[in-house]
Formats: sequence, C-alpha cells, structure tokens
Amino acid sequence: MLLAVVQPWPEGKQPTDAALMERILQRDSGALEALYDRYGRPVYSLVLRISQQPASAEEIVQDVFLQLWRSADRFQISRGPLEPWLFTMARNRALDFLRLKREKQRRREDSDSDILPSAVVNPDPEGDIDRSRRAEQVRALMTSLPAAQRRAIELAFFEGMSHSEIAESTGEALGTVKSWIRGGLLRLKQSLGEASS
Amino acid sequence: MTCEQLNPLYEEYALGVLEGAERSEVEAHLARACDKCVPGVARARWVVSQLAHAAPEAQPPAALRGKIMEAVKSTAEDAPPVASFEKPKSPRTSPVFPVWAWAAAAALALITGYAMHRMNNQYDQLAQLRKEMKLAIAQNQALQNQIDMERMVNSVMMSPDSMPLKLMPTKDKGMPMVHAYLHPHMGVAITADQMPSMPSARTLQLWFVPKSGKPMSVAIFRPDPMGQIALVAPVNMPQNEIAALAVTEEPAGGSPQPTSAIAWMAQVN
Repeated sequence: MLLAVVQPWPEGKQPTDAALMERILQRDSGALEALYDRYGRPVYSLVLRISQQPASAEEIVQDVFLQLWRSADRFQISRGPLEPWLFTMARNRALDFLRLKREKQRRREDSDSDILPSAVVNPDPEGDIDRSRRAEQVRALMTSLPAAQRRAIELAFFEGMSHSEIAESTGEALGTVKSWIRGGLLRLKQSLGEASS
Repeated sequence: MTCEQLNPLYEEYALGVLEGAERSEVEAHLARACDKCVPGVARARWVVSQLAHAAPEAQPPAALRGKIMEAVKSTAEDAPPVASFEKPKSPRTSPVFPVWAWAAAAALALITGYAMHRMNNQYDQLAQLRKEMKLAIAQNQALQNQIDMERMVNSVMMSPDSMPLKLMPTKDKGMPMVHAYLHPHMGVAITADQMPSMPSARTLQLWFVPKSGKPMSVAIFRPDPMGQIALVAPVNMPQNEIAALAVTEEPAGGSPQPTSAIAWMAQVN
C-alpha cells in the first residue's frame, strides 16, 4: 500500500476544507481523517436522527465519507463550501435508507450530481462564521418555533415528507402546512443571513 | 412561472416538499440552466442543509473513524491520484459548468420538454375522451328514452282499451294527420310522420277540450329531426268528459290556454 506523501500542516493553523479536499485529490488519507474529525459528528447526528438506527447510521456515514474520497474531483471549492454538499449527501443517503425501509416508492429528490455546489457566493465559504455558532443559531430558531410548525419542518427535513404527506400525517390543512414551512424557512434564511453578516 | 414567482419556492424545493406543478416549474428552470434559479436554488440548498444542526447531537462510535480509514486504504492502493482542482491559469475564466454538465442539462431540458409536451397532449386527449364519453352517454340516454317512449306508445296503441283518434289538420289540408290513442289509464299516445320542422321559438301543444269549460293542456312537443312525433302523456281528465283533442301552435314553453287557432283536431265520441 502506498499513499501519497504530503507535507504536514503548519502547526497551530487549521487547514481549510478546500485545502483538505486538494490533499484528498492527492490521495492523502490524512486529509479525509481531518475532514471526518471536523464533520463526522454533525453528519452522524443528522444520519442517526433520520435513520433512528445506530448500526445503519454508521454504515451510511461510512458510505458518505467514502463517497467524498472517491468523488473528490467532482467537488470544486470555488463553487461553494463543502459543508452543505456533505450534509445534503448525508441527508439524501439517510432518506434513501428510510424510504427503502418503509418500502416507499418515491423518486429521490436529488442525485449527488444535483447537489454539487453551484457558482454562488455563499455566506460562509470557508468557515468564516464559526460553525458551532451557526449550529446554535439553527437550534435556537427551531426551539423558538411553535411546536406544530417545528414538527412540520422536522417531518420534511428528517423524514423526507412532502407538503401533502405532512398534511396527511399531522391532520392539518395543506395550506396551513405550506404556510408553516414557508414561514419557518424564511426565518431560517433570515437568521442565517444575520449570522453571516 | 417566472423566476420572480419561483424565488419564494427555492427553499421549499431544496427541502423536497414541493410537489406537482410547482416542483416541475423549478426543475424546468434548473434544466435550462436558468441564471437566476440555479444560484437561487444553490443558496437555498445551503440554507436548508443547515437544518442538519437541528438534529440532536450524537457521538459517532469510536470505531467508525477506523472503519472508514480502513476502507479508504483498501481503495487507495488501486486508485491513482485524481486530477487536482483547476486553478485559474490565465485571466480567462473557466466555465462554471463543464461541458458534460451542459450536455446533461440540455438533455434533461429536452426530456423535460418532451415529457411536458407528452403530458399536455395526454391531458388534451383525456379531456377530449371525457367530452366524447359525456356525449356518448347523453346520446345513449336519449336513445334509451326514445326506446322507452316508443314501447309506451306501442303499448297504448296495441291495447284493446285504447280509443284510436285521427286529428285532422284544420288550417292547412296538406299537413299530415296526427294519430292519437286514448287509454283510460295509460294515457294518450300521439304519433305522426312527415311533420314540418318548426322554428325553435315555437312548439306544438296538445289540449283536451272538455264538454264544458276551458281546454286543458296535456303535452308540449315538437317533431324530431325526421319529422316524427311519438309520445305518451297522462290523461288528466275523465275520458267521458273529453269532447275533443286539439293541437295548437304556441310559443316555446307552451301556454296556459291556446293562443292560436286549432291546427289539428279530433272529436271524441
């Protein structure tokens, strides 16, 4: 076995996601380890929340990071940050698992190629905003939402339900569900916008 | 829908809750690499992806890191280093999307366009089929009504208790004769052939003319396109009180009392 020999990181300086991805392209497995250390926990938390099964969550997370290793050349940091790509890929994988488990025949919302970052200026290109602060921002927002509205957004994000499926599941009117989700997403967008400004 | 109309839907699309036409609209804009919707949806994906932080924090098993690295090492032996990120080497900017992405987007746009075209055609065909089906049902019902009416007419005509009457034209002797069969219980059957067509604002009205008192309306009718008349109307007067049967031409909808001279008439003995 021969892995690429790469230069060690300068002491006291955290490599950016882009730099780590560049090293992954050079087959530096240490870069993947660094990315796992950075994102392993939130990705695992997300996948476990969706799958509800630790064993399955472990498999899915492994699959996500292997995909990151194999498809590193498809990711271009100039198009946007790594984090949403990783989260979206993890969510899609976990929802696929969930759908398979429920034997639901539903079209997968996004293929991995669909979620490649696009040429857009993102508010947090390389960790300028502290990730933990952003995570707290999201949690605070979700906590501040009325329970029913929060539930609707959770059903959409963590269980992959559509508007009508949420309406059916909660017994609420379709219009109400749409209004809750749109309002919640707007507040999330505003909150993240404020966080990045 | 325009990009401005789709703008509020970007986050919902990224979340995966959109359905039907709204979802198709966003996908159609993305398929044609819309310069407003593509970055809009990309930004929305970033926003939506942050919901991952709403998941309760969980610590991955310590062994997971090792498993991943083992799997990576086993693939690393076979795989050569892949191409590095492209750095701009000249002021000329590289395209945002590679050629294959444009080709894929174009293919997707074509497929989407074709699918929408097919779907529209199918909707049109379905609407046309529904229309034809409604028409066929209506025609079938009309035919059934006609058959039922002819059966009733035949029953009255063939009954030995029916009194046959010939209503003779009173004004224009060239007009065909109208036949009536008066049955005490089943009603009065009226038949005629080769009747002239009538203006839509006019109708024929059958009257019982009592031995004393005013005529009583029995039925309103018009010849069919073949000039035929076949109907059965209830007898709303004791047969022995009926002095005559008369037909007049009245405004469409009929009249409470005759407003024109009698056109056909038969005395009842």
